[in-house]
Amino acid sequence: MGVSLNQPSTLEQILITTKVEKVMNWSRATSVWPVTFGLACCAIEMMAAGASRFDFDRFGAGIFRATPRQADLMIIAGTVTYKMAPVIKTLYDQMPEPKWVIAMGSCATAGGPFDSYHTIQGVDKIIPVDVFIPGCPPRPESLIYGFMKLQDKIMTSSLADRYKDIFEEVG
Amino acid sequence: MSDETLPQPSESPEAPAGPYIYDYAASPQRQVVMPKTVPLPSLRTYEAEVKAAVAADEAKWQKMLADFETAKAKAEAEGKEAPKPPVRPVPRKDDNDLKTPWPQEAKDDDLHRLQERLGGKVEEIFEQAGELTCQVSKEAILEALQLCRQDIALNYEMLADQTATHYPAATGFAFSVVYHLTSISRRKRLRLRILVPEEFSPESACAVYPSANWMEREIYDMLGIRFANHPDMTRILCPEDWEGHPLRKDYPVVGWGQRDIAFREDRGGMLERIALQKAGQLGINLKQPKAE
Amino acid sequence: MFKNEEMEINLGPQHPSTHGVLRVKLRLDGETITHCRPMIGYLHRGVEKICENQTFFQGQVWTDRMDYCSAVANNLGWAEANEKLFGITVPRRAQYIRTMLNEFNRLASHLIWLATHALDIGAMTVFLYAFREREDILDMNEAFCGSRLTTTAFRIGGLREDLPPGFEKLVKKFLAKFPSCIEEYENLLNENRIWKKRTIGVAKLSAEDAIALGITGPVLRAAGVPYDIRKAFPYAAYAEMNFDVPTRTEADTYARYLVRMDEMRQSARIIQQCMDGMPEGPVMAKLPKILKAEVNEVYHATEAPKGEIGYYLVGEKGSGNPYRFHVRAPGFINLQALPKMAEGGLIADIVAAIGTLDIVLGEIDR
Repeated sequence: MGVSLNQPSTLEQILITTKVEKVMNWSRATSVWPVTFGLACCAIEMMAAGASRFDFDRFGAGIFRATPRQADLMIIAGTVTYKMAPVIKTLYDQMPEPKWVIAMGSCATAGGPFDSYHTIQGVDKIIPVDVFIPGCPPRPESLIYGFMKLQDKIMTSSLADRYKDIFEEVG
Repeated sequence: MSDETLPQPSESPEAPAGPYIYDYAASPQRQVVMPKTVPLPSLRTYEAEVKAAVAADEAKWQKMLADFETAKAKAEAEGKEAPKPPVRPVPRKDDNDLKTPWPQEAKDDDLHRLQERLGGKVEEIFEQAGELTCQVSKEAILEALQLCRQDIALNYEMLADQTATHYPAATGFAFSVVYHLTSISRRKRLRLRILVPEEFSPESACAVYPSANWMEREIYDMLGIRFANHPDMTRILCPEDWEGHPLRKDYPVVGWGQRDIAFREDRGGMLERIALQKAGQLGINLKQPKAE
Repeated sequence: MFKNEEMEINLGPQHPSTHGVLRVKLRLDGETITHCRPMIGYLHRGVEKICENQTFFQGQVWTDRMDYCSAVANNLGWAEANEKLFGITVPRRAQYIRTMLNEFNRLASHLIWLATHALDIGAMTVFLYAFREREDILDMNEAFCGSRLTTTAFRIGGLREDLPPGFEKLVKKFLAKFPSCIEEYENLLNENRIWKKRTIGVAKLSAEDAIALGITGPVLRAAGVPYDIRKAFPYAAYAEMNFDVPTRTEADTYARYLVRMDEMRQSARIIQQCMDGMPEGPVMAKLPKILKAEVNEVYHATEAPKGEIGYYLVGEKGSGNPYRFHVRAPGFINLQALPKMAEGGLIADIVAAIGTLDIVLGEIDR
């Protein structure tokens, strides 16, 4: 955040100028609240990431919300099946904007080893995904790394790009 | 769905019509290899097989001897040196050979008691790998289960597992349903087995063992055997509108292709709202008043 | 509700306390549950079908992903079922290592159960404590087979590798620390008034009902039935181990908690005995490169942390794939008892009932 004031030193210490967008992105990136939503094996590693040793809370993402209406991030941790797919879509639609999705593990990324009649080959067939994390299951470190990538993505996002379609439509 | 250019799957039945996003017709995963044999463990079949193998071995030996005799006679007639007499081939033994347990004569008292009490309804009893198997006729399964549960000498309190296997190559039956019973007090296990043809409804075990409830629902879901007098004969794992029964041998691993799931590009639902507004269905004005 | 009518509500499949994707349909009269119907299948992945189309050696990886909290116990059942199918004898050292890792796995599984069950009922602290010790066990898993959760620890016929150097030191360090950790959890919960109020007398299931419904594992033992497959039908090296089967007679949630805590102590005891009596020798039996089955069927049951896990295998002559592969999942059968435990109770207590059954949806739906 560039300081561009040519003012006395006291003011320099208390004032900064920056873009509104940047402040918004910064505040969003450092308090991403995930929804408590585990599907399969990866959910256990997600829990481990939130527990004592790995402490997901350091990155502002430790508050797992029980309802999608209070959450910003959905970590798809596990295999998505045909029976579960409509539920995931409903949950995603219930989350307020802005919202992000991490596909954790190879099942959520591309169906993983389960190439069978009842699994969906990747959650991106039903909802848009921001970060894919490989692994079966990924270690908590991988999840944290993926989460930090998401933070980078949030920091570079711009409101104009995000709502381009809508702005064009509205005029 | 059928394209002339695509190679047609071998032996896989026609897929039901429906909206699918991927056409798996050409996928190797879609190919179904139907089993040619009926791997139903049975003492009677095993004994017949062994008998046939011994007979074949003997016939081969006799043929070798006869060949030797003719060769010897021919050599003598031509004045050549007589050929060596044949040696009976011994089956090759390797240290790595597996010692697969074979079906054996039933020695356990439980099996004999079952046979004694049920009489002609018992089709076969044998032991294999230390496990007791009793095959009863498909109409008598409830009677057999009741006997196992209530007879003081048998006293099998728990139905640990119940499952079924599809045998498309068999004649006279299509499925075998197995019941694994456990006696907690006597520390024993017993397997009851029935052979069921297609479209036959065996009696549900729920009346004797309530734990059979979900297991029978699973069998119905996966293999399509309907149980008579079951309290709730519905699908349990697959959705209610699922087509086919996945664990049948004619069902491909990937199923009949993926079903269409509408992909939603609109992240916040805003585009949908605009579309609705355009159609005059939403009373919210999204247009902000423009600054002059 | 002003009118005297029943209300139908839906719990799950996304609910923080359903341990995965379980859905329960409830009918309520005020706060009392009058009807309860669990609905499963939201994680049905077709493991049985996939396994029937792959070789016997490949089958192991699917067992990891069924009950992902106790992958080693699933691996053990699978490996032993195959050994029974082919008539393979496993070296004694491999048996001991299997037994030891299986008990470590029981500890890890019970710690997850303790953490999530306590979290559901409102005791958050235990969650952080239990996961601390679980990480130590996962480190040992990692040292042995390179993976934390989906271990694929054993092979048909024994083990792929012997114990890594320095493993003994890890085990010793863990065993020196662990008894005090159990005491720590018990200090947090045993006399906790809220914990006792939420668990004592909640979700009762009598021994007769439990046996009729096919319940196994700690839930059955908390009803007073000392049925443990490790004792009743010994497998691996359990016949040589000296341990007790803890039982209770109260048959409620608190009794199940105490049974599982005692089981953890017994597991630590078995691990100690395995370390002390570890024999020398090879860890893998001689096997052909490709396993070809004969016509044969086996049902092999072992004691997983959740109850009896049984593998039913049918072999086809000359085929490298199992003709039929079926898993008797303990969670699948145990979940049948949920209506019996929850009906007549309060809506808040269904959370305790789900937690105390210790279900994992991966093995229920398969």
